[in-house]
Formats: sequence, structure tokens, C-alpha cells
Amino acid sequence: MGEVKLFFGPNHPGMHGNFSVHMYVEGDIVKRARPLPGFLHRGFEKLMERRYWLSNLALIPRICVPEPDINEACYAMGIEKIAKLDVPERAQWIRMIVLELARMANHLSAIGGVGGPIGLYTASHWGTADRDRILDIFEALTGARVYHMYIIPGGVRKNMTPQIEEMIWKVMDYIESRLDDYENLIFKNRILHSRLKGRLVLTREQALEMGVTGVGIRATGVEYDIRKVDPYLFYDKVEFEVPTATDADAFSRVYLKFKELSQSIKIIRQALEKMPQSDKVNVPISKGSALRHVVPKGMAYAHIESARGEFGFFVVSDGKNKPYRVAVRGASYPQGLYGIEKYLPGTRIEDVALWLATMDVCAPEIDR
Amino acid sequence: MTNSMSKAVEVLKSFNPFVEEIDDREIKISLSNDKVISALDVLKSIGFSHLSLITCVDWIDDNQFELVYILFNWEDGGKILVSTRIDRSNPKFITVKELWPVARFYEREIHEFFGIEFEGNDDMRPLFLELWDEKPPMRKDFDPSKYSKEKFPDRKYEKDVIKEAKIFRGEING
Amino acid sequence: MKERTMWEQIADSLRSRSLWMLHYCTGCGAMELPPTMTARFDMERFGVAPMATPRQADIMLITGYLNTKTLRRVIYTYEQMADPKYVIGFGSCTINGGIYFDSYSTINRLDYYIPVDVYIAGCMPRPEAILEAFNYLMEKIRKGEADGWKRYKENYEWYKQNQIRSLGEVYVHDEFHE
Repeated sequence: MGEVKLFFGPNHPGMHGNFSVHMYVEGDIVKRARPLPGFLHRGFEKLMERRYWLSNLALIPRICVPEPDINEACYAMGIEKIAKLDVPERAQWIRMIVLELARMANHLSAIGGVGGPIGLYTASHWGTADRDRILDIFEALTGARVYHMYIIPGGVRKNMTPQIEEMIWKVMDYIESRLDDYENLIFKNRILHSRLKGRLVLTREQALEMGVTGVGIRATGVEYDIRKVDPYLFYDKVEFEVPTATDADAFSRVYLKFKELSQSIKIIRQALEKMPQSDKVNVPISKGSALRHVVPKGMAYAHIESARGEFGFFVVSDGKNKPYRVAVRGASYPQGLYGIEKYLPGTRIEDVALWLATMDVCAPEIDR
Repeated sequence: MTNSMSKAVEVLKSFNPFVEEIDDREIKISLSNDKVISALDVLKSIGFSHLSLITCVDWIDDNQFELVYILFNWEDGGKILVSTRIDRSNPKFITVKELWPVARFYEREIHEFFGIEFEGNDDMRPLFLELWDEKPPMRKDFDPSKYSKEKFPDRKYEKDVIKEAKIFRGEING
Repeated sequence: MKERTMWEQIADSLRSRSLWMLHYCTGCGAMELPPTMTARFDMERFGVAPMATPRQADIMLITGYLNTKTLRRVIYTYEQMADPKYVIGFGSCTINGGIYFDSYSTINRLDYYIPVDVYIAGCMPRPEAILEAFNYLMEKIRKGEADGWKRYKENYEWYKQNQIRSLGEVYVHDEFHE
């Protein structure tokens, strides 16, 4: 039997987002694969050069849809690095809480996303339902469910009220109480085991060569986490572990995401306890209108550990009121483009959707 | 500066680098463009093995493109921005896909958005744009607003809503 | 508008009770679809369910901005769908370009290329807004006002001309499209 051409996406229910993989298959085995990104290309980097430093805040959350806060945080940290701004302590803690909440929301939707292609719909329903509780916190805190525009250069937009702190405590307790059920019903499920165990193995050498970060590399047994290696905010002042696995297969990648949920809960609780009470959550960055904000000349690269790996903003300023150049390092760039071309050949057709789901290929941040 | 970064500066002495400190864990090293590839090779061998990003900045006033390679050290968290400038009118550089295979896609993207040729990287098909008919869009002299106006018609509003809102707020008289 | 016969009225009323939505995430608004589909908001109680193939779907959701590359696929998909078919445009990006008004790759106005029956304002629309839009669409179908698919047939030349003006070539030819 000869080779058959096959599309996977963009219009396909197993596809995560708007992305496409073109394959040549022989029987069930993929012979050659080619990623075709660009369906979500909006030209962000160009648009950002045309807007004021602060108007960009409305634009950048759209770069990564499942986890928008990392964009704001990276952009703000890049500007703070160039302009040498001192951020109030409380704002740093609030940022940490927001980033960890976003990580949990992303992990929950990723667990749900794995449930879809393998037919374990409990995971999709549970993941989405619990994610909604976190979105409710965001709504109370920032006024929006998905795009928050909350973290700004120099701090955060508004203070966190005691009622919201109370709400976060409650939701954390709730999610923690659910984790046992997740473990028993989803991660001990035979469907999940037979579909994910031993599939799509990415060894340490391959992952390092490719530049994969996040759970992709931690599933191979190394503790590479930017929160530990290059601590930003106050991650060096809280205690948490970086879960690792040694199997390097699709199952351990999903399981690590699940393990990270409890670590995030731990970090959020510590942050809520250690956070000082104060009204000062941002520093004025310019005299008069915030749109006249001018960042001094310079360039900086700020990166953070997102739910999918290293996410970074490279910011260049020429001393005017608009950015000169902003480049985005999408966390799923290596595995979404190079990984598909190099490591998908040899796998089965049904595993392609799992590659995209377990490696967390996020199309909007690849395309921008 | 972390240990690995001071070591990197030490090792690169013979390349005549211009070193700027951005942060206590981030430096920028500017090199002339014939030394970049060997410098990247050296940096990779001393621990800066993770390529975070290859990107490009269009300095149109100097008629130059600046290529920036961002390297990261997983051991102690040092970041090095290796930068070099190339001529803007005939932009050409050498690929680093032998050092980092994923660089192929970064270079393909830079080729698409800035129009820089990378010698040795033969796969330069468009990646994100389809049937693009203008100059590379990330160049500073490309005006997206004008392109958008020509190609994608706007909605025409019968009412001037902004003016109405201003009248409503009492800023102007209707 | 033409007067509908009794059978058409009955057919429209039945149609509005069982709408199948094409599962195609064209933009970022798709992020609010999982909550809409699952337990909390549960769109299935209105008879709306996701469907994998365009041949069996009734509604097409354009979830947000469309760039030229996606628009080509959207036109393919729209033309594959069987009549009657309805389009819902999500968010301000489909209405007037939204924050991407000056982008070189996204379109500014969706109803210039394919007919749109319902628009949802906002970025991004909440699940409640999506449900409201479905209800509004059902009402429109019941009254026989959701006639986008008819307009596409009647004004086919005009739509094609607009598509070609913005896209150059509507049906692409690359390695896979020979």
C-alpha cells in the first residue's frame, strides 16, 4: 500500500486550536509530517510597535489564550528591567498568586484537553468545571473571565480585597479536595493508561537538543524549572517542589501537570500568608497621563515558567513612547514546529492529537 | 553576574566583545558578525546550551539589522544575549541549525518577516503568511495600516458614534 | 421577504430546535466554548450540540479574528456545509476588526466575505452571551429571518468579488492542495 496524504486540522475536532499538521501515512503509521502554522497570525509584534507602551496591555493577553497572564507579566517585567522600576512588595505577591492561578487554570484545561482525543470525557467535563471556579476568582479580581489586563508595568492594577483572599482560600480548599477523585477516576483509569503509557516517548537527549521546556523536559527526570533556576518575583521565598518523572512518555507528562496543581496550591497558600497588608500596589510610571510613559533606551529579555514551559518577551526600547521591537518566545515553539517534523514520523495517526495535547502545543503563541 | 557568565566573558575575551550588563543574571554581548558562530559554539560548550530565541531588530536609521541570539544556562540561570549587526540592504547570515536544530524554524520565521537569507538553511518556504505580496512585514518601512486599508475594507457607520458620545458627555455642542 | 408556506414555517420551527454547531475553533473566542458546552452553562439544553464535520453542521461559529489564511479555510468550510446554514460572528474582531483594525493579516469586516446572521459584541464574549446569541438565532430562524445562506446564493458574485479582492486567490494551491 502506498503513501496517503492526510490533513489533520485546522478543521478537526481533535485539534487544539487552529493549527494544522500535514502528514503522509502508510497504513496507520505516519511517514512524514509537516506543521502548518499561521492560521492565528495577527502580526502582534508589528502592532505592538505602533501602540503606546501601556496601550499594548490590551493587546498582549491575546497572544496566549489559555493562560493570558503570563504575557502581561513578562511584558511588565521586561519594561521594569529596562526602566529599573521598583515594584511594591504586595504587588509582587499578588502577581505570583495570579500567575499560579493561571497555571492551574491551564493545567486543568490541559487535563480536559487530553480527555477529548482519547475518549475519556470525564476528564474534559471535570477539568472545565473546576477551571471555571478559578475563572470566577479572576472575574472578582479583575472584572474579566479570560483576558484580565491586570498586571501592569510597575505593579498590578488594583489591590486584592480581603473578600477575594477569602474566596481564593475557599477555591484552593475545594480543588485540593477534588484531587483524590482526579487521581482515582482519571489517572488510574484503564483507558488513559492504555492510550498514554509508553506512547510518544521523548528522551532527555532529544528534549535538550530540541529546546523543549516545561513538563516535556521534566518528564525525563531533570528538574529544569525557571522558577527554581532563575527565580523571578518571590519564587525564592516560597517552598515548593518540582515534580519530575522518568518515563518520558505521554502519560507522565499529563500526570506531572496534575502533580503541579498541588504545588501551585501550596505556593498560593504561602503567598496569601506572607503577603504584607498595604494599599500600595503600583508605582506611578509617568507624570500625567500613563500614555505618555517613556521607557529609557535599552533591551531586555524577561522569561517566566509558564504552564507549558519557558515563555519570554524580548523588549527593545529606543527611548520613545512606543516599543521599538517586541519579540515573543512562545513556550510551545520547539515542540509545535520542529518536534512535529522530527518526532512524529513513526508514530500512529491517533497519537498526533496526543502529541499536541500532552506537549501543550498552543497555536496562538506560535503564530502570534 | 553568575559564575557561568563571568566564565563566558572570560572565554570570549579573544573575540573582542562589547559587554553590557542588563541585570545580575543577564548580559548582552555584541560581536562582529564573523565571530558570532564560533562564539555561539563556545558558549554552547560551556553550559549555555538552551537556545531561547533567535530574533531580529530592524535599525532602519543605521541601515542595519541586529540579530539577537538568546542563550540560557540551566545550571545557574544565566542569560546571554549575543548580538550582531548585519547590513540591511543585502541581508545575509549563516545558519546555526547545526548547533541547535530548532533554529531552522526561527530562521525561517526571520526570513519571512524580515527578509534575511540564512546560508545553509535551504528550507525557506513561507511559514505563517500565505500568498504574501508585499515587502517582509516586520520591516520598519512597511505600514500595516495602509495595507489593511487597501486590502480589507472597513465597516461604514451611518452614525458618527464618537461624536454622539462626545455630545452625550457634554464635551461638544451638537 | 417572501411569504413562507405553512410547511416552510413548520420546518423552520423544527430546525430551530436542533442546531448542530461546527466544531471549528477559528480564533480565541473558542476558549469560552468548553465552559459553554459542559456542565456549568450546558448549551445542549437548548438543543445545540457540537458536530465534527461541516456536512452535518448547521451553525458555523467564527470565534473572533480571522486572518487571510483562515478565511480561505472558512470559505471552503462554509461552502461545504449543507443548506440551511447559519453563521455567528464572535466578538468585536468580526464586526469591525476590533483591536486588530490596523493589522496586515486580519480582515476588518466578516459580512463582506460570508453572510452573518448574528453578531455577539465584546471581547471575549461570555458564555451567557453565547447562549443568548443561540437563543436569538433560534428566534430568527423561527421567524424565517435568518436567511444568510439565501443571500450568499443570490449575491454570490458580490461575495466572490470581495473575497478575491482581499485574498487574491480563494482556493490555495500548495503541496497538499494539488
